[in-house]
Amino acid sequence: MEKKKILLIDDDRDFLAATQLILKSGGYEVFLAENGKSGLEQAKAIAPDLIIVDMMMETWSEGFDVVSKLRTSESGKKIPLIMLSAVDLNGPYSSFEAPEGVPSVDLALNKPISAEDLLKYTGQLLA
Amino acid sequence: MKEEIILIIDDDASIRDGCNQTLKREGYTVFTAAQGAQGIKTAREVRPCMAFIDLKMPGIPGDEVLNIISEDIPDIVLVVITGYASIISAVESMKKGAYDYLPKPFTPDQLRAVTRRGLEHRGLRIQARKLKEERDRMERGFITFVSHEMRSPLVTVQQYMEALKAVAGDSLGDDVLDIAQRSSKRIQGLQDMIEHWLDISRIGGDSFLKDRASLDLSSIMHNSIEEMRLLCEKRGISVTYDTHDSLPAVMGDEASILRVFVNIIGNASKYTPREGRISIRDEYDDYYVSMHISDTGSGIPEDHLAFLFEPFYQVKGRQQEYRGSGLGLTFCKRIMDAHKGRIEASSEQGKGTTFSLRFPR
Repeated sequence: MEKKKILLIDDDRDFLAATQLILKSGGYEVFLAENGKSGLEQAKAIAPDLIIVDMMMETWSEGFDVVSKLRTSESGKKIPLIMLSAVDLNGPYSSFEAPEGVPSVDLALNKPISAEDLLKYTGQLLA
Repeated sequence: MKEEIILIIDDDASIRDGCNQTLKREGYTVFTAAQGAQGIKTAREVRPCMAFIDLKMPGIPGDEVLNIISEDIPDIVLVVITGYASIISAVESMKKGAYDYLPKPFTPDQLRAVTRRGLEHRGLRIQARKLKEERDRMERGFITFVSHEMRSPLVTVQQYMEALKAVAGDSLGDDVLDIAQRSSKRIQGLQDMIEHWLDISRIGGDSFLKDRASLDLSSIMHNSIEEMRLLCEKRGISVTYDTHDSLPAVMGDEASILRVFVNIIGNASKYTPREGRISIRDEYDDYYVSMHISDTGSGIPEDHLAFLFEPFYQVKGRQQEYRGSGLGLTFCKRIMDAHKGRIEASSEQGKGTTFSLRFPR
């Protein structure tokens, strides 16, 4: 069976590397993007089964922008999305002033995330 | 032509005309009104920088006009014109927010001087407010920046530790896994410390405690106990709460008070041996509502009590096992300060410690 493809978007290279290791150990094929622009390009090119995106990158809302653009594009409308953030996500987005009309994500999780939880949630979303 | 708009509200036509002429000659834009209601209407339309208000007018009383205008037009400078040159009515008006007063009769020179001074005062006030807003904005930005910049590397290290376990978990010996586990724990401790430090920095800001509400401390205490129940059970400690049925309300911020209670109960559970007890009771009088949280732990030597609320203060010889961020009690003290309350500890060696929190009613 072909491996499921996961696209990881985060501006911290080390975080990408660490998370990639975890996802690979779970048997996924992992693609990396270091910023929103490259993330959107790759999303189009490789058609991933799941996208994991960091909320704060270059700007506070870069993650939101990526999600908005994905959700309004034909190919990205239905891809499962996980939003990650190092700021407390007490209920999605709450402690951060979300821009107007924040698009929905399938899951919002705090960084760091344990290997066990990450694989559990990705498994659920890709089932 | 100056940009400043000045409004004169006086039922005496000669005063209106006199002021109008004098101030127009100085280059100000002047509007006049013969009574209070008209004055309020004009003020709302033209939004003057400054208004002169006669205290004694038919219709709405002058001091009420003063109140309404000062609420409606931010930064306006108000001067009362008082006919019965009584110092008492002038003082009353100053208390209600007037900047100055002009006793009748007054000369054009006096009027010019009061106007100049009032507008200068307004300029300084606006400048001061802008500086303060700027400072608050920078502080908030700084806190957010620090939180992100300090958390990021820690988060990444923790993620690598997780990756290590995921990638090599099965092939690692127990001793190596133990090292990884201990490292993760210490990093988590550092992260907690940053969180607590940020919490404490936020308390200093003006925005803190803006959402004060009338609170029932006993229900917050019940929630706190509920939150700590599992932990206390795990540590083999019982918690009891002896409460008055109708505890008077206090004003405050529910979330932060809950965290103070949780913190104190958590502390008590750390330093109380198994089979120990945490007993909580509340009391009140005409001025205060208090919570007393007592444990049956080893107690704190008296010479340490005064320093407990200092950042990073640790009582030597206490268990290292539960070492916290060193900021928990500092956080509690700051929250209590922000509520104009008090927090105190009393202790008897070998018998236990009591933390008393007192809130003004």
